Amino acid sequence: MTAKDNKGKEIFKQSKIYMPIPQQLGRGDKMGRGPYEKSGIIRDTSLPPGRPVHENFDISFPSGEYEMTVDVELVYLPFGARDSDPFTWQKVTKKVSIEKGGV
Amino acid sequence: MKFLRSIAVAALLALPLLTGTLWQDAGAAEPKKAASVDELAKKYDSSSCKACHEDIYKEWEKSLHARPMFGTGRTAATIKTTVTNGLTTWKYSGVKKPEDVTVKHLMICAKCHLPQLSEATDDVAKEIVKNVFIYTDPKASDDAREKAIDVISKANINCLVCHQRNAIIHKWVDGTPQKNEVYGSKNGEHADPAHPVMKKSPVMGESILCGQCHGLGPNFELEHPTQCATLYASYLFAYRADGGQETCQECHIKKSKLGHNMQSYRDPGMAKAAVDFKVDMLPHQWRDGAKMVPVNVVKVQILNKAGHAIPDG
Repeated sequence: MTAKDNKGKEIFKQSKIYMPIPQQLGRGDKMGRGPYEKSGIIRDTSLPPGRPVHENFDISFPSGEYEMTVDVELVYLPFGARDSDPFTWQKVTKKVSIEKGGV
Repeated sequence: MKFLRSIAVAALLALPLLTGTLWQDAGAAEPKKAASVDELAKKYDSSSCKACHEDIYKEWEKSLHARPMFGTGRTAATIKTTVTNGLTTWKYSGVKKPEDVTVKHLMICAKCHLPQLSEATDDVAKEIVKNVFIYTDPKASDDAREKAIDVISKANINCLVCHQRNAIIHKWVDGTPQKNEVYGSKNGEHADPAHPVMKKSPVMGESILCGQCHGLGPNFELEHPTQCATLYASYLFAYRADGGQETCQECHIKKSKLGHNMQSYRDPGMAKAAVDFKVDMLPHQWRDGAKMVPVNVVKVQILNKAGHAIPDG
């Protein structure tokens, strides 16, 4: 997720990873990478079937800014990095503003 | 004399046992193993299926099942790292260099990516590995890489793997798949001279058919257990356990309308069907004493509508 101010300057960036984290050779605390060394699961942050996953992000408006544009992307990264064969699963872009002035 | 007669009787008694054993061995003799990728592809040649099942065959040709050892290229690359980062680095694997890879070693991938490799000689494993290394060599010519892809993709998960070899799971109940039979949804005659008998597979429409490869976790039957897919475990313990009713085939073949071109997230229709993505925003001004602090709360809801976790792994 990224947020930009009215001038296009990035003011917020955060990502979350959803995946089963495999255990290296079924022992210890290290993650395994290739199928040849995976034998277990240390932690699972993948999207579970049928159960919604909720995330909340608080983004502060920089001083003097009244608008921001937020891009929220769900990207599939087969190799775990954005530079190798990613594809955007879903993307939502929204522009929001706060009131100027008032009491 | 009595002693000799005893020996003669004992020998006569032993003869049927001996001949029985010999006959049994001959009957149970394993068929000749394929000695090249070409031979293995021929042994599992399903091209004759196309004559009557053309649409299904064409669907399958678009699927990754038609090139399971190559995949999108990523599978071939992972087979290479299995050799370079795995097999050749392990003390007791018996593999010092890629040329040492045998069927036993490659089965840690081929158990699912090419299960019929178990019916081939070590030369076939070496031929596949050699071509995987050509494909992944950045110095290889385009022509050499294309030829390598052709070899890697020649043997595959085709009609005969799912509708014959792997069509029966509980063999003590349902018997062993026969080479002259194909397995589907009904019994009867089958027009293909090589497979004249059609039999009903009790699991052809069941998720367990797919679960044979699409994974529970570590493959403990291997000397070196590997873990590639875990989707079937997720399907069983996170989807069915929560009341999910659909089968793999219902979503990936029927609802998707992709038939035997079974796809996952790379198909736009499947990707859209699998995940609901909702984003709400709440810009507001928090009052900290006399000071207004403007903040935007972004609320994201992701709902996985598939019958298993996303992603696999």
